[in-house]
Amino acid sequence: MLDRIYLVSRQRVPGWLSVLTLAMGLVSGIMISTLILMLGGVAFEDIVNEFVVFVFLDEGGLAQALTTFIPLALVGLAAAAAIKLNFWNIGVEGQMWFGAMAATGVAIYDIGPDSVRLPLMFLAAAAAGTAWISVPALLKLRYGINEIITTLLLTYVAALIVQNLLFGIWRDPGSGFPASPRYDPHFEQLSKLGWGNLYSGIWIALGTGLLWFWIMHISRFGFFMSAIGKNPKAARSAGLPVARTVFGAAVLSGGLAGVAGLTIVAGQEYRLTIHIADGYTFSSIVIAFVARFHPLGILVAALMIAGLHTSGDTLKVFYQLPSGMVTVLESIILLSILIADFFARYHIGVRRLSSAG
Amino acid sequence: MSDFILHWLINAPVSSAPLLLACLGLIVTARAGVLNLGVEGIMATSAFFGAMTVLNGGGLVPAVLVAVSMGALLSALFGTATVVFKTNQVLTGLIIAALGLGISGVLGQKYAHRPIQGFDGLDMGPLTGIPWIGPIVFGQDALIYVTAVLVLAVWWGIHRSATGLRLRAVGENPATADSAGYNVTLYRLGAVVLGGALCGLAGAYLSLAAGQVWVEHMVAGRGWIAIALAIFARWKPFPAVLGALIFGGTEALIPRVQALGGDLPFYLLLMLPYLLTLAVLVFPYIFISGWRDEAPAGLMQNYVREERH
Repeated sequence: MLDRIYLVSRQRVPGWLSVLTLAMGLVSGIMISTLILMLGGVAFEDIVNEFVVFVFLDEGGLAQALTTFIPLALVGLAAAAAIKLNFWNIGVEGQMWFGAMAATGVAIYDIGPDSVRLPLMFLAAAAAGTAWISVPALLKLRYGINEIITTLLLTYVAALIVQNLLFGIWRDPGSGFPASPRYDPHFEQLSKLGWGNLYSGIWIALGTGLLWFWIMHISRFGFFMSAIGKNPKAARSAGLPVARTVFGAAVLSGGLAGVAGLTIVAGQEYRLTIHIADGYTFSSIVIAFVARFHPLGILVAALMIAGLHTSGDTLKVFYQLPSGMVTVLESIILLSILIADFFARYHIGVRRLSSAG
Repeated sequence: MSDFILHWLINAPVSSAPLLLACLGLIVTARAGVLNLGVEGIMATSAFFGAMTVLNGGGLVPAVLVAVSMGALLSALFGTATVVFKTNQVLTGLIIAALGLGISGVLGQKYAHRPIQGFDGLDMGPLTGIPWIGPIVFGQDALIYVTAVLVLAVWWGIHRSATGLRLRAVGENPATADSAGYNVTLYRLGAVVLGGALCGLAGAYLSLAAGQVWVEHMVAGRGWIAIALAIFARWKPFPAVLGALIFGGTEALIPRVQALGGDLPFYLLLMLPYLLTLAVLVFPYIFISGWRDEAPAGLMQNYVREERH
């Protein structure tokens, strides 16, 4: 039977089929996830209540989801910028650590006049994220060293640098935990918008989404990125600046991740603590691929994942659901979408017995 | 000082074995043309299932078998997605890594920090009694000797057996292997599952022999280091032994240097394995002219018979 199955790759995937398979993948992923949660002892109506009603139809829940959305949208865009060019940035967390560290340095050493402190923190975070990714970017472009491993290993190094600071010279003497001193509420914190915990970082996230749209669909750099992402050899033959574009996309990615780190410390925690970046790398990849790199799609996917994280936190409290559960659900949904995509990419045919012989 | 060196040499194989086992798993898989980046998650899940089996009174040998089967099972999921449904190998590997870490975190809460009666060093009588050589060579735990046998088995399997020859053909040029009548899908699935079983054994070693306890995040990047090691070893078993010993040696040094006291900052000391991995990846390119990655030509290329040229 299996011998008679053959695959024909589609030259052009029709729009409806692409949407249909994405929907099928999402639905089956969500169904498996629901099943797992029910096996974990969560009642079905509670799952619907938490994941749909509370997150998207309740004012307080939506504010919480939008707050969680801010760094997720930024890291989703960061992952998309690099992976679009086949530069696998698996070090988003490391670049977030560097962004958060640089912002914290500017804040606790009171660098620059008070009135421009926040813009300085922003620039420092972007620059630090950029600097941290430029090491693997240069190693890849100069020597062809696999960036998956280097970005990932540098994340462990970044996290240990943060721990070294937080258990050492940056430790807030007034706190029993490894955390930096609090930022000044007047000059060093992103302002609250008066809706739950939502803060002005939302404008940074939405603005970056627009910027990504402009880059990908209007700018010349975005045109280079699309061309190189689709076929680097052809792009090189056509005389496009391949190395410079890849490097540009990589540092853009690192910079965005650095800013994501800033939004967490300056908008949510108001200090540097040792778990702020945990888990963002995988979420960033899930968001970029669920959205298939589309700018608007990334914002929607980031909101979905933010809803998952928000309700995951609530379930953690009420059902003692372990924190790894959200990661499990994310991986199942993404794997399901990937497998569903197979049915869009290939036409599956079955040979008749007579012609098989 | 001689005590310091003796204890370090005794412990170096314990730190090296999990890296080496995972590296062997990666080599077997990669030789068939598949890169399984999920090692970190596979090791995490297997480490947990091994510990769980022992803590529920299952005994050590069944615990190892359970851990190995979990590694094979997670890899079978990876293989089904990449080999059958042609999903992107890098992305699918990252999903398996996340899934494995998630699974161990979700199921593991009740089992964390409970001491395990695991694999201890063997006593081979007079042999172990030989000064210096005895405890280092004849006093290791049973799984170390299993690892040594597996190195030879993997080397023989890949480089000397007929099946290994076909496996390498599938990894280098799947279209040609297919034309020659070998089932690319079956060879790749088999290699993925076998490689995953080896990674599962690596995870079991962490909780049952090296740590004798299970805690979340105990793999701590060893899966990724093993991938770097496989690249450094150019996907060959014997160079992998050398690489694993260098790494294991460094790792075994950390708690001992720390115990000596001194002013070395603890967290910077913990960075050593990661920095060493980076150095090992980068230095050959800078200092050895003509050094290239010698990955199998078909690595990460999914094979669709109807698309061959």
